Amino acid sequence: MRPIGFSTGALAKGDFRHGVALQHREERIQAIELSALRDHELPLLVDAVPALELRRFPYVSVHAPSRLQTLAEEDVFAMLLRLPEAWPVIAHADLLHTPSLWQALGARLCIENMDDRKTTGRTVEELRTLFALYPDASFCLDLGHARQIDPTMTSALRMLREFGARLRQVHVSDVGTRGEHLPLGVMARRAFTHVAHRIPERCPLIIESVIAAEAIGGELDAVRLALPSNANAAA
Amino acid sequence: MESIITLERTLGANWSALRAARETTEEMIAELTAAVADLQDSNFAIVVTGSLGRGEATRGSDADWLLLVDGPSDPEHGLLVREINERIGSVVAKEVGRTGTFGGIVAGHELVHYIAGTRDSNENLTRRILLLAESRALTGAFVRERVIHNVLSRYVVYDRSVQSRSGFRQSIPHFLLNDVVRYWRTMGSDYASKMWERQREGWGIRNIKLRFSRKVLFIWGLIAAFAAELFPAPELAESANEDEYYRMLASLIRTLTDVPPLELLARAVLDCHDREVAELIFSSYDEFLGVLANAESREKLEKVAFEEALAEPAYAGLREASKRFREGVTRLFFDAHPKLPSLIRQFGVF
Repeated sequence: MRPIGFSTGALAKGDFRHGVALQHREERIQAIELSALRDHELPLLVDAVPALELRRFPYVSVHAPSRLQTLAEEDVFAMLLRLPEAWPVIAHADLLHTPSLWQALGARLCIENMDDRKTTGRTVEELRTLFALYPDASFCLDLGHARQIDPTMTSALRMLREFGARLRQVHVSDVGTRGEHLPLGVMARRAFTHVAHRIPERCPLIIESVIAAEAIGGELDAVRLALPSNANAAA
Repeated sequence: MESIITLERTLGANWSALRAARETTEEMIAELTAAVADLQDSNFAIVVTGSLGRGEATRGSDADWLLLVDGPSDPEHGLLVREINERIGSVVAKEVGRTGTFGGIVAGHELVHYIAGTRDSNENLTRRILLLAESRALTGAFVRERVIHNVLSRYVVYDRSVQSRSGFRQSIPHFLLNDVVRYWRTMGSDYASKMWERQREGWGIRNIKLRFSRKVLFIWGLIAAFAAELFPAPELAESANEDEYYRMLASLIRTLTDVPPLELLARAVLDCHDREVAELIFSSYDEFLGVLANAESREKLEKVAFEEALAEPAYAGLREASKRFREGVTRLFFDAHPKLPSLIRQFGVF
């Protein structure tokens, strides 16, 4: 069964401590993503990590800021280096202004496919260009973003076929018409089943659905239903 | 235009009208894109079809445009239509056709869900096939692509003709093929209908277009429906299961929706290695575009009376050229190509 958990930002926007605490309460959660999507959150997160209780999560990743508003790119990079080496750094391509800097992260750099509000990283072709620039980088497949670009999930399938060897984690959520992350609806659940067989059993599922604490259990159930564990038998 | 250029060089031909049309198209697309550049939204695309979509525009062409909405409906879309109309009119003075098929809102839902059946319409069929075969996005390229993914998914993934017992994977999407054939025959019937309704007004240019550019749309559809056989892709052979196979087949056909019909035809012609076929098809098509690019001869085509057509050089010359074009494509599909004759025999008629 794939490790599963939430992005702290989805459960508690701007409060990673609460996002972690909420996930301690749910036994099924074995994976967690620490979110610093807004760049002012990153210094607080990096300073807090030594004291954060994360031992019960075999898989931890950190989401780098999506936009630089208060920090310089070099400062963000330096702060991310202070985090444990085992943690993949999930990044949007438009953060990576200086390739030589980020290439040094090797496979720790985990590039995420984007929604249509961004100008790169949205399609197989755009990702191919990025991975040529970052040949050692790993891949975070965002199913919601891929479905927003192509509801038939053919693009997601092509991403999994071409970049499957790089796959480090999967982001799961519905995505609204303005790019917002929403709880899985029935159409997203049905769509995701078409690619489940291409997602390895070891691959962590990170839920980005923005939900209230009391909805955690239901969302875990919905994701398990959409991405059943035995689905990859056909792959 | 890569394959057309290869053919032109191989034959030592001079298809200047084809090249000029492509250049004019790109200039007009750039001007139109600039005119609507600030009208961006993640739920709609401004799409052009017709000669602009095929890469065959001349300065006498109109701009058949659509506001393709794929997302929440919004009353503001109605106001936006007026603004788009003004802005496109500032670049292309000629008004869109009077049928109402273009120049307004088109909902992605109708294109995806009303394929054949009682709720499909002549307009819907036209918009759907043109979106696939000859469309360009001025804004919202991802929305256009999303709707195309969905339409092809209906044709290829969800509407398989029969359930396979043995795991056999059908390489020819019959639903798409049938709709493409239906559209070609509809264009022929509509020509007759407009002759009747408009008392032959503008019949000459419609007749010539039916012989060339409308026929090329049909050819695009045939080649797209035969894509798995004509352009074998490893993605198909490596599919993990039947569902994935059909999604990959839809994806293969999707890539062809970015290839103009004449360029796709050139790819097929290159595969048949028959210089005469290439000459028959592309020299005649070049002649067609050359006449359309000339304002005076275009006007003659638009105004020629039915009874006087054979005495009008612009019309009579293209009528003769169209026979060479038909001879070329007939030989390509029925004789010269290594695969098309057997595909046509097996799937084209019965």
